[in-house]
Amino acid sequence: MTALPSEVRRRGLPRRRTGGAARPAGPAGRARHGRLPVRIVAVLAGLLFLLPFYYVVVTSLNSASVSASVSDILLPHWQWANYSRAWAAAPWPRLFLNTLLIASATVLLALATSLLAGFAFGVMRFRGRGLLFGLVMSVLMIPGTVLIIPDYIIANDINWLDTYWIQIVPWGASVFGIFLVRQFFMGLPQEIFDAAELDGAGRLRMLWSIGIPLVRPAIVIISLNVFLASWNSFLWPFIMTSSPDVQPVEVGLAAFAGANGVDFPALSAAVVFTTAPILLFFLFLQRHFITGAMSTAGGVRG
Amino acid sequence: MGWLYTAPALLIFSVFIIGPTAYTFYVSLFHWNALNTAKSKYIGLANYRSLFGSTAPSFLSSAWHSLYFSGAMVIGGTALSLAFALLLQRGGRLLGAARVAIFAPHATPVVATSLAWVWIFNPQFGLADTLLRAAHLGQPGWLQSTTWAMPSVIVYSLWHEVGFTVVLFLGGLAVISPELSEAARVDGANGWQEFWHVTWPQLRPVTLFVVIITSISSLQAFTQFYEMSQGGPVYATTTLSYLLYQEAFVFFDTGYGAALAIVLFAVTAAFTLLQRRTGDRISRSS
Repeated sequence: MTALPSEVRRRGLPRRRTGGAARPAGPAGRARHGRLPVRIVAVLAGLLFLLPFYYVVVTSLNSASVSASVSDILLPHWQWANYSRAWAAAPWPRLFLNTLLIASATVLLALATSLLAGFAFGVMRFRGRGLLFGLVMSVLMIPGTVLIIPDYIIANDINWLDTYWIQIVPWGASVFGIFLVRQFFMGLPQEIFDAAELDGAGRLRMLWSIGIPLVRPAIVIISLNVFLASWNSFLWPFIMTSSPDVQPVEVGLAAFAGANGVDFPALSAAVVFTTAPILLFFLFLQRHFITGAMSTAGGVRG
Repeated sequence: MGWLYTAPALLIFSVFIIGPTAYTFYVSLFHWNALNTAKSKYIGLANYRSLFGSTAPSFLSSAWHSLYFSGAMVIGGTALSLAFALLLQRGGRLLGAARVAIFAPHATPVVATSLAWVWIFNPQFGLADTLLRAAHLGQPGWLQSTTWAMPSVIVYSLWHEVGFTVVLFLGGLAVISPELSEAARVDGANGWQEFWHVTWPQLRPVTLFVVIITSISSLQAFTQFYEMSQGGPVYATTTLSYLLYQEAFVFFDTGYGAALAIVLFAVTAAFTLLQRRTGDRISRSS
């Protein structure tokens, strides 16, 4: 429930996935326009997008009273004390651990529910299948901001406020995940499952031993997206929790900003060390994120 | 049997999404007592009538701010990401690195990076004003100005969001027919004509998709408003989502907040249905 992306994308907007959607638009036969200007503009655009990252790192290493000349604010002064000040101001290790626990548990739960439901919708035939699938899709119409009030009341009634549960379970089912798994299973030849049935394999064993290895790409995409959305969420844990014992790191960061808003070098240091892990996570796996998103759009044919 | 497999997901959806949506409507009919639910008073549609009352910040001005923000995000975001996608569509190491650089902000938590931008917009020490001063240009005051606060939040949000929509457009560009572009070029079309008459029409489904998801996500944007401007100055950045948070969780007027939530739900549902309808039409006609 953070901001722009996640509030919609935590539930996700599923699109049909076509097989080889992300066909690389390679250089072959496309070199009609001058390539050098394109490259220069692309590099400048890339640097412009990276500038805020550079700036926050430099700010985290400057003293607060640095005079405001361009070179002063764009060159670091190596004030490492900002980091120790920021690190000492909040129980960061605990907050990191909470985030990691919440995000991992949400991924596991979302994977389990998506695989089961996606398998049922994609492979099994049962009465009311279309109706139930329509119900699942209708969940997309409901934005997270609408849910924050009633779910707060419900969480209060079942004593789930300020617990891990309220941060995990409501996000443990993903329309996007169910849709993706269903698409993968629908793309597989039905005979695989018929043959397994003749062998006397139970449905659940069929899913586990045959299905899961075949839908591995979907598992990767769902895991990464759910993990990132959970890590980056804010509004939900901000409303639902009140103690650092169960709060994620982003809520801790917001609280730190509220209390130390004027100490900007320390706040920048906190921004750097809280963002670095998730940014590195993204950079290591960026290929999966980008091809995942590209194939989403490649399949957009209504 | 199928019911059993779908049950876990459906249980979560029912308890935390579908049921609560109906419950929101119920709550919106009450003068809700957040501390003692039993003391809540049924008031019919009074919460909806007070949407058009004269409280500050008013519903109508917040709706206008939401429209302002979402409109800028949809128009600016779509145009920018289409331009970047066309720029980056060819392969190669360098362009690949530029893609990652533009996508990276999208992977960052809004809490963290919007705080970085608060400092960029700081009137004394911030990067934006320092550069303007060095160039002897006027300083708009950014987040402290009722005029410039919303554009400042929009600039941040575009920086954060555009990477994702660029990649969506790249995905769209990757599956359009190269033969048509080839033919257009053989027929002597210049770059612009090729884009306008050949590439662009083929990108219409992706464009529609980008427009719809940007509309929906912009309507729900909350965190950057909370961190960067707290809805101010003088309510200049109080959007519907921010108003909802404030009414329900700062002023504890839960019933009124629920009425706002129902309005947001209606708008979002309309957008989603619109997407599905137009999507169906496009797939039928193609």
